[in-house]
Amino acid sequence: MRAFYLLLLFWMIPVYGVDNRPPIRFGLTAVVVTENLRFLDQWSEYLSEKMGRKVEFELRKSYQEVMDLLDAGNLDFAWICGYPFVQSREPETIELLSVPEYRGAPLYHSYIIVPQDSTVKNLGELEGKVFAFSDPDSNSGFLYPLALMAAQDKKPASYFRHTFFTFNHAETVQAVSERFADGGAVDSYIWEYLAIFKPEITEKTRIINTSPSFGFPPIVSRLGVNPSTVHLMKTTLENMDEDSSGKALLAQLKLDSFGHYTDSLYNDIRAMANKIQRVDAEFNQIPSE
Amino acid sequence: MPFISPRSWPLAIKLSLTITAAVTMVGFMIGAVMVIQNWYRFHEVLGENAILLAESIAITSPKAMIRKDFWSLYLSLKNMSSRTSELKSQQQIISAMVLDAEGKVQAHLQPASNPMGLVFAPENEAEEDLFKQAMNARVPLVLSSGGYSSSGFLEGVVPLFSDQKYLGVVRVRLSVAQLYEKARYSAFIVLTLTFFFVIAGSVLGTLVARRMVQPLTAVTQGLEAVGRGEMTEFDPIPVKRRDEIGRLSATFNQIMAELAEKKMLEDEVAMSEKLVALGRITAGVAHEVNNPLAGLLNCIDTLRKHPDDKELIGRYLPVIDQGLHRIKEIVHNLLVGLKIEEGDDHVGIDHIDKLHDLMIAEIGDRDIEIIWENSADKNLQIPGKLEQIICNLLKNALDILTENGTVIFRMYQRQSYLIIEVSDNGPGIPSSIRNQLFDPFFTTKPNGTGLGLWIVYRLVHNMEGVIEVTSGINAGTTFHVAVPVISKQAA
Repeated sequence: MRAFYLLLLFWMIPVYGVDNRPPIRFGLTAVVVTENLRFLDQWSEYLSEKMGRKVEFELRKSYQEVMDLLDAGNLDFAWICGYPFVQSREPETIELLSVPEYRGAPLYHSYIIVPQDSTVKNLGELEGKVFAFSDPDSNSGFLYPLALMAAQDKKPASYFRHTFFTFNHAETVQAVSERFADGGAVDSYIWEYLAIFKPEITEKTRIINTSPSFGFPPIVSRLGVNPSTVHLMKTTLENMDEDSSGKALLAQLKLDSFGHYTDSLYNDIRAMANKIQRVDAEFNQIPSE
Repeated sequence: MPFISPRSWPLAIKLSLTITAAVTMVGFMIGAVMVIQNWYRFHEVLGENAILLAESIAITSPKAMIRKDFWSLYLSLKNMSSRTSELKSQQQIISAMVLDAEGKVQAHLQPASNPMGLVFAPENEAEEDLFKQAMNARVPLVLSSGGYSSSGFLEGVVPLFSDQKYLGVVRVRLSVAQLYEKARYSAFIVLTLTFFFVIAGSVLGTLVARRMVQPLTAVTQGLEAVGRGEMTEFDPIPVKRRDEIGRLSATFNQIMAELAEKKMLEDEVAMSEKLVALGRITAGVAHEVNNPLAGLLNCIDTLRKHPDDKELIGRYLPVIDQGLHRIKEIVHNLLVGLKIEEGDDHVGIDHIDKLHDLMIAEIGDRDIEIIWENSADKNLQIPGKLEQIICNLLKNALDILTENGTVIFRMYQRQSYLIIEVSDNGPGIPSSIRNQLFDPFFTTKPNGTGLGLWIVYRLVHNMEGVIEVTSGINAGTTFHVAVPVISKQAA
């Protein structure tokens, strides 16, 4: 009996004892609506409890910054977009951890939106207008519209009168709804999320083009993170739909669950990226802070 | 209520009205100046705020413009606008924009109507003019919509430079509507305060005016009382202050006290004079009646001793008769003189002319001439007492004359007075006795009663007339009588 209590004590120490290990750093980008800090606190608390170690979210403006942090080893995990995930790195620094399931599948789309009262019906009619991109490393917010134009042999620099990056899908929706931009490309998940929580913004926009399905922005782990931590994070995320607090968090994210998928989910994006890389390197007016 | 000329308004009302008017004028002038000053101050502050807001945008604009980060530019405009509208008391931003050196829109608060990347298109000529001014600005300045309309605005214009290269301009436009509201509110406050200040000032002014005028009113009432001869019933004015009005009141009280004392002394003198006159009359009556009485008693005593002496009876009876008649005459004249106020009858002026004949009869064979000049209106009605006055004066004149005497009677009208002059060329009246002429029982004639001129004086005085005597030794005497008959007849 005594040995049992002792065992219990040792078992509990890693969970409740004073933990001097550095926190697990989890990078977030514009793939989620990051303004809800209270939600992020709840989620980090949930993950910390499950991981037995403090989990801290790191918010950055652009995917690039998050990728740089990953490369430099300053992040352990990150929720990034499919486009940076498929970009080739030498040596490779990340690997696929888990993919969110949205409306029954690990898929999402890119929406090309215009103001509600705009007469524009397709991307072709946006020529000479102002277009808002989300992030130069975003699949739905940059790569897909670029591919659409490339299919018509058009280059954005000469095609649009002006383009700009909002570095935030939600702000792309805002830019279009306020008619600052005549059109924009956004993540369907974010647009639908806003349609629930801020319908007054999405009501002022209209979807003129929905892309084919792409692999949902994945959660990746940095190569070099302790495999047991990676494993624990993977099971924690993928089991979130099995307990009530995890379910509540998923409900707030409007996701069904996190699931295990292979790299091949992103082949479409990879193919599109490969095609675009040949197109143009001249259009790369990326404002950086 | 009939209109009364302001000249005759009471001083208290005029003074308080003047103070009220002065306070009102000063109050509203100060109020107006404050309102105008406030307006200019608000205007200035609004202009400064417009510049400050434009400056706040201008700080980050050059960097964003160079990097073509139009979204950040737009967001900074949006943030400024939503931040300002959250602060309710602050000004309202009508529009804000960032333009590049060519006037192309880099960001505009109303992106729908002002597309990014196109040259800013002013709506009208006034806007065009403001646009040019903004584009030409190389230092921060405030542009105004001009005029004073609540739809007007002030615009802060801040040019953008990077490394001394002109990049464009930030324009932030603030509505003056709130300025108007503020100015109206402050005007309301100021004018309300002024209104209460004016009311308070007027009330105070009225009180002060009344306080100041009160002693003057008392002095005026006192003087009116003096005019009516009621100075003894005057209540002294309370002296509460030592200023001019206090001194005036004190001096007036002193004058009134002295006047009252004088009046009292005069009354006492008049009373003692009355007593003296009464004494003189009593003594005169006693003396005049006593003189014949002694003779009469003597006669009666002698007759009683010699009841059968016919000769004595025949000699003494006329003496007794004469003495008794004299007493009767004295008593009659006294009664006439004392009872004059009873008769108030009027007679025609022809009654006077009848006296002419009576006097001629009185002269008899004496060498005296009467010159009779009556130029008064023949239809004039005169008091009956005048007949007695003229008769007495004529008789007096005839009595004094002996040989070559001339009596001149003149009667004529001058304004509302009837003038009577009776002159003789007699020896004249010595100046030593002129003061006693009208005293009762004063006579120079051996058989006179001394009551004729006294009666004349009493009658003239009773008619509110005037009697004067001019006389010189051996130069004759003239009595001038003036009585206000015309007015009496009219009445």
